[in-house]
Amino acid sequence: MTDLSGSSAIVLVLWGTIVGLDLVSVPQAMLARPLVAGTVAGWLAGDVEAGLRVGVLFELFALDVLPVGAVRYPDYGPATVAATALASDSPWQFAVGVSAALGLVLAVLGGFSLSAVRRANARAIQRHSAALAAGESGAIRRLQYASLARDAGRAGGLTALGLACAWALAEPVAAMDRSTGLGLTLVALGCALSAAIGGAIRSAGRGPRLRWLGAGALVGLLAAALR
Amino acid sequence: MNGGWRAWLRLFAVQGTWNYERMLGVGMGYAAEPLLDDLKTVDPVRHTEAVVRSAEFFNCHPNLAGLALGATARAEYDGVPGAQIVRLRTALCSPLGALGDQLFWAGLVPLLVGAALVAVVLGARWWAVLGFLLLYNVARVATGVWSLRTGLDAGMSVGGAIAKSWISGAIERVGPAAGFAIGVAIPLVAAWYLEVIGWPGALGALAVAATGVAVTRWFGAALTAVRFALLALVLLVLFRWVLP
Repeated sequence: MTDLSGSSAIVLVLWGTIVGLDLVSVPQAMLARPLVAGTVAGWLAGDVEAGLRVGVLFELFALDVLPVGAVRYPDYGPATVAATALASDSPWQFAVGVSAALGLVLAVLGGFSLSAVRRANARAIQRHSAALAAGESGAIRRLQYASLARDAGRAGGLTALGLACAWALAEPVAAMDRSTGLGLTLVALGCALSAAIGGAIRSAGRGPRLRWLGAGALVGLLAAALR
Repeated sequence: MNGGWRAWLRLFAVQGTWNYERMLGVGMGYAAEPLLDDLKTVDPVRHTEAVVRSAEFFNCHPNLAGLALGATARAEYDGVPGAQIVRLRTALCSPLGALGDQLFWAGLVPLLVGAALVAVVLGARWWAVLGFLLLYNVARVATGVWSLRTGLDAGMSVGGAIAKSWISGAIERVGPAAGFAIGVAIPLVAAWYLEVIGWPGALGALAVAATGVAVTRWFGAALTAVRFALLALVLLVLFRWVLP
């Protein structure tokens, strides 16, 4: 892990907050996609390659998620930021696996924290139900701004927790033997591929999309062989 | 009716107060406020009723919420009975949710993610990320502007406007394209990681991937991909700990 300065850590927490807000609340501009979150976090931590490697890995996991309705799903944005910080400044072959483990735990925590924020929003609405029933626009605005602040706090807290864990893990990870590091990376990659393949097959259903998925896979295999 | 641009900007935060009771309701009320402002001077009682209705339960895809927002605001100005406006809101929830999910979450997003992953593997790196963000946000902003305008123009006949719109045709095209892009991306990404690791490691990773696909399909929701990954990583650490 890069020996992060205080200002770099603050910038990463800010980026994690923006990314966490982007997932659901505002602006949903796809900044929360792991590919974007990881690449920018890698740049901020001084190791774009690590950001890309971690970001692409979590992007494979994220392909398994269809964020519809009230379903609870992992929050990969802040998780990718913290995982990138842990992987930065180390050869990715040995660092990505441990970073993935940290990121996956954070992503699951992120999913629970999203549910907690949603429940807190519902309680706030209940407290303001009389004002809402009276048609007070000010109450709507206050609820909206408070909810955004709640989600920002959630995302910032999650990123800060992740960075603290990355900082605590940095030394043991550096001391870990390379074969274990490589093994963890291979297992993490295998799991990410299984998530992406499972998600792609599920999304494809049995219609023409499945045939296009198969055709794409053939083209991808051919291109990979020719590289 | 003024406030269209402010309402459109506020739609970017339509999920800001997402909750399990009113879902997008309060966010819709927040976005509706600028549109309903002029009603305050024309008919204050109607304005109060409209504000109450605007923040009631609502759920749909956020990028198509403008259709419902515009249509209900137009209906408020047209003096449509309140109960009819509530019915319109309720009726729009499912179709706008289903259309938006198919168009964006199951279509455009995986299509652009797949293309971006391929571009990263081929060396585009930052350009891949920037291209992904640019293309998605151009499509999303254009859809948002179209949604609000169409809703404001159509009012109570927004259902017909949606049926005649480009959305269904786009869904038919974007779904297969997304499948193709993801299909191309997965083998290329796997090779991008594994080419520097060597055959034994690559075969191990592919065996984990095959096992993961099989067991997560077998166990369904009880064993998600993330749970499988955490389990596999913990097992490897334990194995290395027992047999150093």
